[in-house]
Order: sequence, then C-alpha cells, then structure tokens
Amino acid sequence: MTAFRTDWGTISFDDRMATSEFRIHERAHIVVDGDACRGCSTQECVVACPARLFVPTSDGGVLFNYEQCFECGTCYLVCNTKGAISWNYPEGGHGIVFHQT
Amino acid sequence: MAERSTDFDAIVVGAGPAGSCAAIELARAGKSVLLIERGPFPGSKNMYGGVVYPRILDELIPQWWEEAPIQRWVTRRSTMIMTPTQALTIDFRSQNWAAPPYNGATAYRPDFDHWLANKATDAGAQLLCSTVVTGVLRDSAGNVTGVRTDRPDGDLTAKVVIACDGVNSFIAKEVGLYGKADASNYTLGVKETLALPKETIDERFGVRGREGVDIEVVGCTEGVNGGGFVYTNLDTVSLGVVLKLPKLAAQKKRPEEIIASFKKHPAIAPLIEGAELKEYSAHVIPEAGYKMFPKLVGPGLLVAGDAAALCLAAGIWLEGVNFAMASGMYAGRAAAQALTRGNTGPDGLKPYLTMLDTSFVLKDHQKLQEIPHLVLSDRVQNQYPGFIANIVERMFRVDNPTPKPGLRRILLEERKRAGIRWRDLLRDGRTGMKGFG
Amino acid sequence: MTVVACLKWLTPHDADDRFGGISPADSSALEWALRLGEQRGEDVLAITVGPAAADTALRDALACGAQRAIRVDAVDELLSTDVAAAIASAIDGVDVSYVCCGDYSLDRGTGSVPAFLAAQIEARQALGLIEVVLGSDVIALRRLDGGRRERLRVDAPAVLSVEGATATLRRAPLSGALAARNATIEVVAGPVGSHLPTARRPYRPRARVLPPPKGGTLERVQSLLSGGAATKSHGVPVELSPDEAAERILAALDEWGYA
Ligand SMILES: Cc1cc2nc3c(=O)[nH]c(=O)nc-3n(C[C@H](O)[C@H](O)[C@H](O)COP(=O)(O)OP(=O)(O)OC[C@H]3O[C@@H](n4cnc5c(N)ncnc54)[C@H](O)[C@@H]3O)c2cc1C
Ligand code: SF4
Ligand code: SF4
Repeated sequence: MTAFRTDWGTISFDDRMATSEFRIHERAHIVVDGDACRGCSTQECVVACPARLFVPTSDGGVLFNYEQCFECGTCYLVCNTKGAISWNYPEGGHGIVFHQT
Repeated sequence: MAERSTDFDAIVVGAGPAGSCAAIELARAGKSVLLIERGPFPGSKNMYGGVVYPRILDELIPQWWEEAPIQRWVTRRSTMIMTPTQALTIDFRSQNWAAPPYNGATAYRPDFDHWLANKATDAGAQLLCSTVVTGVLRDSAGNVTGVRTDRPDGDLTAKVVIACDGVNSFIAKEVGLYGKADASNYTLGVKETLALPKETIDERFGVRGREGVDIEVVGCTEGVNGGGFVYTNLDTVSLGVVLKLPKLAAQKKRPEEIIASFKKHPAIAPLIEGAELKEYSAHVIPEAGYKMFPKLVGPGLLVAGDAAALCLAAGIWLEGVNFAMASGMYAGRAAAQALTRGNTGPDGLKPYLTMLDTSFVLKDHQKLQEIPHLVLSDRVQNQYPGFIANIVERMFRVDNPTPKPGLRRILLEERKRAGIRWRDLLRDGRTGMKGFG
Repeated sequence: MTVVACLKWLTPHDADDRFGGISPADSSALEWALRLGEQRGEDVLAITVGPAAADTALRDALACGAQRAIRVDAVDELLSTDVAAAIASAIDGVDVSYVCCGDYSLDRGTGSVPAFLAAQIEARQALGLIEVVLGSDVIALRRLDGGRRERLRVDAPAVLSVEGATATLRRAPLSGALAARNATIEVVAGPVGSHLPTARRPYRPRARVLPPPKGGTLERVQSLLSGGAATKSHGVPVELSPDEAAERILAALDEWGYA
C-alpha cells in the first residue's frame, strides 16, 4: 500500500503566519500584564491563541507580541485572571486583512 | 419625545452581512444611514468556514446569484463521522442545487461582504471604513444617542444605532445587554485556505464546472470538542476545525496541531495532497445559540447577527451569514419603521423581536436549541463516533469462517465496548429527534 | 503658494485594489506636506500618477487635510522620467513651494522620481532625508555614504524626499474622513507607458568565467567562497572630472558584470 504523502503540509509556524497579511500599527492593541500572569498556573492563552502570540517564559510569566494577531478574542475569553489582558481592536484600517477566507 | 437633530437617522456598526443588510433596508426606506467598518474595506476582518445560504437575499437583491461573488454552488453535502482509523460518510448530492435559486454556495468573505456593502452604498447608505467604534454616546437617561469612534473629533449622533459588530460585540456588552461572558459559549475556528488546480479539485471531489462540495466532520478534533470542515472553492479548498474554547485550553493541544492531524486522516489526506497553504486564519464563533442570546433591543439600540449570538452553530452546522443577513435586515426594517413613527425608544423598536420571532431566525434557533450542546457533548464527540463506526465496520466485515453476527448482537456488544449507557443513548436520541425531527 | 505631496499607489500583482496602498515613506511625505502647509499657511495638493484605484490614497490625503487632489491617469507602468514629467505638467501653473515625496515606493522602484521632478520644475532638491526640522527655515538631515550626515537648509522651491521613519501620518479626523468620500478628485490624462523596457526581471549579475583557483588549500577555499572577487579590492584611486568619473564608473560596473 502506498501511503498518501502528508509531510508536505509541515511548514514552520512562522511560514504559516506569513501567509496572512497584517497591517501593523506601531501601538499595541492588546496589552498583557506579565505580573498578573506569574500567578497563573493554567496559561490557557498559550495553548489557545491561534497565532501563538503568548510565549511562556522560564520564570513562569508570559511574553506577548501583538503584531500578528487575528483579533479573534480567544485570549480574553479563555483567560480567567482579571486584569491580565487589556484587549482592544487596533486603530481603524490596521491589523489583520483577510484575502481568501 | 422631541425630535433631536442628529448627524444621521441611523448608524450601523460593522459592515459584515448583518450590518450591510440593515443599511440596505434603512437606505431604501429613505433614511440617512452611516455604515461604519473598522477594516480597510468591508470583509477584510471576516473569515468563516466557507458556505453561505443566501436565499434570504431574494427579498433584498432579486437575482442575487447573477452578481454575487460566488466560488462554487454546493451540490454535494457530506457528513463524516470519524475515528483515527475509520470514517463513515453520509453523502448527498442534488443537481437541483446547481441551478437558480440554488441552495448553498462557497464564497470568500472579503469578496462577499465587500459586494454586499456595495449594495448598501448603491441604495444610498454612506460607508466609512478604517474606523473603529469605541463606544456609544448616551444621554442622562441612558438612551443611546450615537457612537464614539477612534478618529479625532470622532463623535457622531443618530436616532438609532444598530450594533452589527460581530461576535465580540463590545457595544452590546457596554450597553449591558449581555450577561457574564462565559468562554464555554464560544468556539474558536481556525482554517487553512489550500491551493490546488481547479481540475484537481473537480476530480478529487467528483464535481464539474461551478459545482462544489461541503464536508462536515465530527470526531476529528483530537478529543477537543468541536468539528471539522472541508469546502471547495474554485481553485482552493477551505479546511479547518472548530474547537470549544475551554476544552481547547484544557487539552493542551494547539489549534494548528489539530488541523495537522485532521489533514493526515486517511479520509482527508487524499483530497488535499500536495496543496499549498495560501492563507491561515482564525475567528471566534458564538456557539451556544439560544442559551446565550443577549437582550436584542436596548434604548435607541438594536443588536443583530453574531453580535446578538444569532449564529446557528450546531457543531457540524455552521450557518451564521444567513442568520446575520436576516436579522440585520429585520433590524434595519424595524429601525426604519420606528424612525418613521418618530419613536426609537425600546417600545418603538420592539417590532424587531416580532419579526425575528416569526421568521426562521428565532424559529430555527428555538427548534435546535438543544443541538449545539448535544453535538459538542463528550458523548457525541468522543464515544458515538467510535461506537457507530465499529457497528458499520462489523456489518461490512467478512469474518469467514465465523458466520455473520446479527445487527442486534453487534449493537449490544458495541454499546458495551464503548461504555455508553442505554439511558444516555435514549436521551440523546430523543434530543436529536426533537431538534431535527 | 502650495505644498505638493506625491503619492504612489501600488496594487500587489496577484491581488486586487483592495490590497493596494502607498509606502510608509509616501505616508511620511504626506505628513510633512501637511505640516509644511500648516506652518506656512499654504494649501496642500496631493498628486498621484496611477490608475483609478489610486483615488483611495488621494481620498485619504484629503481626509487628513489636503485641500486638493489630482490624479494623472496612468494604467501602465512608466519610467521615472515620464512620471516626473507628468507630475510637472499637472502642477504647471501651481505656485509650488515644496514638493514632498517618499524616498521609495511600495515596489521599491529606483526612487528617482523626486530628482527628475526637481529638474523638471527647476527646484532645489534634498533627497533621502532622515530628519526634517521646520523652524524659520526648513532644515533637513541627509544620509550620506559611510555613515556621514549632511545638514541642509532647504529654501523653496524645493523637492524633498523623506524616509518612512521621519514622520507618522496623522489620523484623519472623522469630519475629514466623511467629507473625503465624496470629494472631487481632478483627473488629467497621463502618458502611455510606451518607453518601458518590455521584460522586467529580478536583478542578477552576468555570469563570468573565472580562472581555476590557485595556491594552497586555504587560498583555494577562500577564493571559492568569495566567488573569486571579494578578496580583491575593486578600489582604484583615480582623479577625474565628473564626466570622466561617470564614464569610468559605468565602465567598471560593466566590467564587473553589473550592466
Ligand atoms: C470558523 C468559522 C466558520 C464559520 N462557518 C460558517 C459557514 O460556513 N457558513 C455560515 O453561514 N456561517 C459561518 N460562520 C458564522 C458566520 O461567519 C457569522 O455568523 C457571520 O459572519 C456573522 O455576521 P455578522 O455580520 O453578524 O458579523 P461579522 O461577519 O463578524 O461582521 C462584523 C463586522 O463588524 C466590524 N466591527 C466589529 N467591531 C467593530 C467596531 N467596534 N467598529 C467598527 N466595526 C466593527 C468587523 O470588522 C466586521 O466587519 C462561521 C464562523 C466561523 C468563525
Ligand atoms: S494572559 Fe491570562 S491565561 Fe494567559 S498567562 Fe496571563 S493570566 Fe494566564
Ligand atoms: S485576539 Fe486571538 S490572535 Fe490575537 S492574541 Fe488574542 S487569541 Fe491571539
């Protein structure tokens, strides 16, 4: 039996994100309070953010980058720590621009 | 109430399907209406699975099919029940769906929403893009009197505001129409737009010309409650998964990993072999339907579409655009009538609720109110697919010299093996019948 | 008098106008034009040479505060000289103080339009600016080779081309954004792109025949890694008149395979 090739689909996460267009604004639209995160054992955002923008640090906090954000809302919905995420849309005209979705 | 002089009769926030239909209705009724969109053009912020059911447009845009930016007309619909090694497909095809007025159609949202918003401007609505509405203006009595935008000097007044700002609707939340946000009412959808030559798609999916396929899958999401979908566009395939938020976080599985394993399934891999990733996208869905509806009417405010959680997302069913278009249309109609009567207070806007109640929008939701919960339940997600697939496998298996077992015995044995209680099976069956029957 | 902002609209080759835009440098240029206009109490005129889709950029400029917008209608790609000539003729009759351009467009063309334009309208030029200070004079900081800088006082009439980081375009106020959607854009007929070289390819130096590497292992490896070129210095000290120097540079580029 010849198996179907499935390895062609394995691209790096960066390449995956590079397929989406982001018109990045210089100001962050989402701000994560790293101190609030230090007490968070579950770190739901790290698993759930489809753009993988939350990265755990060795000291138990998380690092956040706002640039390649889909503006989906997942992070503030799953986060149970009050005040950890302040979430806004980017300035009008900026942020994700979908093409064939 | 004395007539206030305002910048516009009505302001519609969000140029998605709900907002554009609301604006069309208002403009055609001769009202001055401003449609505000935060993206650089309508549709630029919007993604979905990939199939629209535009029949509601018959009312607004006769012969819409001649001009709507459609990729393919869905003539084949499959529902697949999957375990890691098995797949049971119920496959339906109808050539009746290949000609006007059609049934479902695949389309890209940046195209479809852009087209629909142009219909609103053709009707006389004004469209302002690249502008975020950051809040509502209210008078001392709490009535909504306009919106605040993120532009300098960015306040605008109107007699009625229609919030069509999608699933995160900060407007509905600000005005207090929602209860406490609960992550378990939402699912995350992630999708890949995969490029393949048109002939390859035609061949692999068994369609020709502009015919297209819609495949919905349960049991493909690695233990995270949700579902998968595969839709054909002209020269791309939309493939993705929908994942229940709290479960996704708890299972420690990344969305793109779940997509990757879905793509590797022997029932899916041959369909998309060699396809190149064109675009990756994500969006949240209000999944809980009836159970999460906010108040749909506020003082000087109507809420429609995903902002009102009116998306019908019964797991494998993803109908949101049609519900958004319909609720937007009714909101626009109700607002126009209220404006004409000069009463845009809560009781003046109330006919909106009656319109929803008597249309498919709330009827479908009412009928299917238990279904989202059922489809996303642990049993349907994790036990039934294996149970059903094993029954079918044993029915089709030729185990000579052992004689064929009767269906009854298979059923009894498989139920036991899957660890499903009769009580649950019967109850779920009844819920399903009640919803679908 | 009038301050002019030149904006180049670009649509990516595989997509439609919805995904087009202007470069950050052009956005900065527009911002400088608006600031100059405010400071000097002059009108700002936004101009583009491009297809109808480019109206989007002009409307954005009007929304931000420009008073007038002209589009020279041109569908084809044009040579920089033609673009400059088209702009010059469109603003002929306008009493220009400053012209602000971005120092590159989204397609990273040659960036030579500002220079040609300065020649066309007989204005001074200050190109590739990394800083502009508006006081009683316009003071501009220019990037030179080798990390050096040149500070210039630029008197009108002059063409300035600025880098993208020099200024952030202001956010258009709501009233401006609303008004701009229906504002008039003057459209004038433009040239057709008949002079454009037919084929455009990414730059690639000509292949050269190299002698087989000589010397010990190390030298051979080194010369292989360097393509036989980098170890040798191209530097030849010469003292020539500007004309001869230009000739010499062209000849050298030709010799090294860059022509
Ligand atoms: C993964 C996934 C798959 C789906 N699959 C399907 C499917 O196959 N078929 C189907 O029919 N439905 C599907 N849906 C559901 C469907 O996408 C939604 O129900 C539908 O888009 C709702 O339309 P809407 O107009 O209410 O909201 P949206 O389409 O979300 O539009 C809201 C608009 O408002 C704008 N906006 C938001 N906030 C502001 C603000 N503050 N200021 C200005 N503008 C703002 C947004 O930019 C956006 O344009 C799917 C959804 C997802 C996420
Ligand atoms: S953002 Fe929320 S979920 Fe994520 S680490 Fe911080 S507190 Fe935890
Ligand atoms: S909004 Fe979505 S994409 Fe953006 S950071 Fe939150 S989870 Fe990630």
